Amino acid sequence: MNPLKYSANRLQNQDLKLFWHLIQLGFQQQFSYRAANLAGLMTNFFFGLLRASVMIALYAARTDVAGMSLQDAVTFTAFSQAIIAYLSLFNWWRVMLAVYSGEIASELLKPTNYFTFWLAQDIGRAIAHFLTRGLTIMAAYALFFKITVPQTVGQWLALAVTLVLSLLVSFGWRFLINLTAFWTPDARGIGRIAFGLSWFLSGFMMPLRFFPDWFVRLCHLTPFPAMVNTLLEVYLGLLEGRALLGALAQQVLWVIALFALCQLVMRAGVRKLVIQGG
Amino acid sequence: MQPAIISVNHLHKHFKIYKHHRGALGALCNLFTREATTVRAVDGVSFTIQPGELVGYIGPNGAGKSTTLKMLTGLLTPTGGEIEVNGRVPWKQRRAHVAHIGAVFGQRTTLWWDLPVIESLDLLQYIYKIPPAQFQHNLDEFRTMLELDPFLNTPVRSLSLGQRMRADLCAALLHDPPLLFLDEPTIGLDVVAKERIRQFILHINRARGVTVILTTHDLADVEKLCERVMIIDYGRVLFDGRLESLRDRFGGQRELVVDMAEEYATVDVDGATVAAREATRVTYQFERNALSASDLIGRVSARYRIRDLMVREPNIEDTVRRIYEERLLDEE
Repeated sequence: MNPLKYSANRLQNQDLKLFWHLIQLGFQQQFSYRAANLAGLMTNFFFGLLRASVMIALYAARTDVAGMSLQDAVTFTAFSQAIIAYLSLFNWWRVMLAVYSGEIASELLKPTNYFTFWLAQDIGRAIAHFLTRGLTIMAAYALFFKITVPQTVGQWLALAVTLVLSLLVSFGWRFLINLTAFWTPDARGIGRIAFGLSWFLSGFMMPLRFFPDWFVRLCHLTPFPAMVNTLLEVYLGLLEGRALLGALAQQVLWVIALFALCQLVMRAGVRKLVIQGG
Repeated sequence: MQPAIISVNHLHKHFKIYKHHRGALGALCNLFTREATTVRAVDGVSFTIQPGELVGYIGPNGAGKSTTLKMLTGLLTPTGGEIEVNGRVPWKQRRAHVAHIGAVFGQRTTLWWDLPVIESLDLLQYIYKIPPAQFQHNLDEFRTMLELDPFLNTPVRSLSLGQRMRADLCAALLHDPPLLFLDEPTIGLDVVAKERIRQFILHINRARGVTVILTTHDLADVEKLCERVMIIDYGRVLFDGRLESLRDRFGGQRELVVDMAEEYATVDVDGATVAAREATRVTYQFERNALSASDLIGRVSARYRIRDLMVREPNIEDTVRRIYEERLLDEE
């Protein structure tokens, strides 16, 4: 056996091992914040009830809006509330805080790729949130409303794939926004604007198919629909065949583009770094 | 001579500090005007360090110590000049570089705040890709030496400062780095904890041959550990040499404290000045190069009856304070 190849294989395995351990780390750390998680759960749930009643009011005189029944629309609010924590849509400042506190020094002293280092931990965090917040919210909703659930194996499979892709797109976007901290002392303001944008353009607030065509087409020029809208439509079974494959391919493309951009910007940012504190 | 483990050549780091206007109107102005001043934190530093050395890098606050250390560890990109550590350029090959150094920044921890110490250390095994046998061997040794066992399962956030520092030292050395950077390793620790840390640093330098560079404000660290000391201020190296030669050149005045048998009206002696006088106790100051202690004692005892005496060497603390305050090295 070629020794070089052998050691390369070994190295890869070690990288995977590290990745796996970092996932565990991210998962484990979520359970240090029990009170915060409980509070988040309650907020997501009650805000969701509010959104569901708005939907019901909207449907008062009709049975179908843009191909979605009332049950679909209520499920839409349930599912979108359930994935807030999983995708960490409006609240992820880890890299920014590390830059501002100087904590990043300890992180850069570790011989890992800084992006993968956080990606792994975020996957762990997301799994924890999926289990503690996602499933709980869906279950709680099912007590109050009639909820749509994927029917076929194919639908479940597509859901599993798009769940992972949505997380990766969302991570790429969040990481990129956090990287602005390398250049400005007020990345939080930029972050709020960015997260506000994603609120509208991702289809989180309203399914994108409720909006006019030109607006939807505009949205699809951004990565936002690939974070939430695709995931929701796959869950509701609104996409089939080529439309489904197209949507998943779009997600893959956004993952590649955002990850590449993150690496580039990160490299420039680390060069630019000014570490705060002694 | 072996090739140097660190070589630094005309290293510069300049920071731009933007002026901020005060008040609400000022905040508005800040958006449009960017008045900057350049701070030369490191301003032309050059030195080389040989494998196995234990070097103290000292200087007052804001002298440029930490900035230099951050460039050596690959965290900051220099504005100008060259660094080579272990044959690598730190900021160009960050990941390869940090895999072969250890670093402890006294003010913060490299461990995970929420995790028990042992779990942090386990994670480092995967991060540094340390073979299990080597990891176990090192962990066993450091556990005993640093007495980590009592708090190995305690989350890092609940550790005392001394415990955390010991855990951090262990974490920095598990991957057998040939080079260890310590930024204020004894800051805020009590006397016993400081001593324990110093013993450990000495051990890994002597027994394991690890090259150590440490910055400190506690000159006792330097006195007890370092053969070579570098003094830096205003971003430049003011002194680089052995500790004794620093004392010889700038040790300044020694003191002779004499208890006279009786109170004399005058106690003057040639070659020494009376620094203090309290009843029968007289303190003379004299230049080490001009007069030896025994000569001075001879002169005093020739004139006065002496009951007891003691020679006091200036301590390193005073020496360095004089260097900072009187800028003794500036003309060189």
